[in-house]
Amino acid sequence: MALRELRKLRKLELPDTVPLSPILDLWDQQEPSGPDATGIYDFYRNLADGELTTTECKGCGKLLFPPVIICPYCNGNDMEWVRIPEEGELYAFTELKLGAPIIVENYAPFVIAIARFGNYPENGVQLSGMMFDVRYEDLKIGDKVKWDILEIVGPGDKARYWYYFKKV
Amino acid sequence: MRRVAIVGAGITKFGVREASWKDLVQEAGKAVFDDIPNLDKKDIDSLFVGAAQPERWVFQTHVAPLVAELLGINVTRAIARTEVACASGQAAIRYAWLSIATGLSDVALVLGVEKMNTKFMNVSQSSMINVGNREFDGANGFTAPPFFALAAQRHMHDYGTTKEQLAMVRVKNAEYGSYNPYAQFQKKVTVEKVLESRMVAPPLTLFDCSAITDGAAALILASEEKARQLTDTPVWILGGVQHVDAAHTTNQMGDLSEWVALRKAAKDLYSMVGIEAKDIDIAEVHDCFTISEIIEYEELGFCRKGEGGKFIEEGESYIGGKVAVNPGGGLLSNGHPLGATGIRQAWEVVMQFRGEVPKERYVDGAEIAIAHNLSGMAQLHHLMAYSVNKPQDVKFGR
Ligand SMILES: [Zn+2]
Repeated sequence: MALRELRKLRKLELPDTVPLSPILDLWDQQEPSGPDATGIYDFYRNLADGELTTTECKGCGKLLFPPVIICPYCNGNDMEWVRIPEEGELYAFTELKLGAPIIVENYAPFVIAIARFGNYPENGVQLSGMMFDVRYEDLKIGDKVKWDILEIVGPGDKARYWYYFKKV
Repeated sequence: MRRVAIVGAGITKFGVREASWKDLVQEAGKAVFDDIPNLDKKDIDSLFVGAAQPERWVFQTHVAPLVAELLGINVTRAIARTEVACASGQAAIRYAWLSIATGLSDVALVLGVEKMNTKFMNVSQSSMINVGNREFDGANGFTAPPFFALAAQRHMHDYGTTKEQLAMVRVKNAEYGSYNPYAQFQKKVTVEKVLESRMVAPPLTLFDCSAITDGAAALILASEEKARQLTDTPVWILGGVQHVDAAHTTNQMGDLSEWVALRKAAKDLYSMVGIEAKDIDIAEVHDCFTISEIIEYEELGFCRKGEGGKFIEEGESYIGGKVAVNPGGGLLSNGHPLGATGIRQAWEVVMQFRGEVPKERYVDGAEIAIAHNLSGMAQLHHLMAYSVNKPQDVKFGR
């Protein structure tokens, strides 16, 4: 017979549910502890205004992605926000069919791609991005793509923004 | 610098284990102590533990002293847990080697462990995302399979590599894995079976990918003087290097089919220890995906750039070919418990040099072996060289 049937045990009562751990929310670092808690918060402000941007170093001219507050090449801290050219070219792509991250599982299978914008690597960037409403079979290397703004809905009611690629 | 040898090696069964993280540590500890019965635990002065994400998978941090307690080790010189994702194990070997070579330590225990299968499997898989830049590539769903799928797509596009050639890597490693009783997968497979297995991320199928695995492995490293007292069959560390080109995020990766950092690391290692690619008898390489092994043939200099597919097709990476690559079955057969993999590679080299493996996967007469780990999305490459022969001197090539 189980011990708890033999005698009354002291209970430690826990909540019915434990909320989704923030480590599984892939967009949590936008505001680690509130707006402006990250030095690159303008990246997210610009997304909310419809612009995908990054930083270019005014000292040495290096175009970087992701944006940073100090240039890793010349240590300068005078950075300029620049718009990433809207149209780029598919460099490689796949479609995630198994093992999608838990928070976007409902969207699987979805296409994950790398696209090049501008004149990479001299004066352009190579970005990863998700693609929706398109299948692996419909794409080929070299296809023209555009970035667009993605609205992240939930968890909670805070509005957050990201970017994705769509075929031109 | 002092010469350093591996004098003991032990391993657990790899797989989906009914065993806790701590059970795995104790099993690997017992295996290595049983391997070297005349070692007194009191002689171990240092401990290095390779563990990639115990915080995420078993919610435990500060793991090195926990291992010391579980194995009864009193550390008096150096102790640390090493983390460089998929290569955390080889990093532990590297720091033990350096600690002994410089004279700080005399005898070090090196243990690699990972418990990846938990009741929250989707959490385990999602945890792989933070190996890349989580805020950027992570938010686009970039776990390992899609990244290596893109590398495969580019290699096929740039060099004409075929899906069949990718599958041939799995066929070879599955054959050797079938003679490895510690491996997660011990069944031979055919090219057709690989191609027909479930699609994970095209062009990679399930059999093109290594698995989510529990396992641990351990080594005892000793100075030349201590090694002489402890064993007649030391395995000598010749040297080792790591290369990364200021790269972590997609934008810094350049062309995905070119692993430039590995090319440079190989050149650097060979010059450090005075060998050429053709001198290598055994190469334990990081076949986390079939495409990885093909690119590694090229960047390690076993064949020309772009001819990795042809290299496996012509059987050159089988025992008896130009170089025996992954004669223990590699990550594809053994599975890939991140912190344990680098130690498992060294364990395989020790067992090969001692002739303590089944004859079907034995590389007879082998004298020089290399081990290659990569970490993350192939940005960081880690190489070590081992030999049955004592090195002339260790000057790190300077
Ligand atoms: Zn600069």
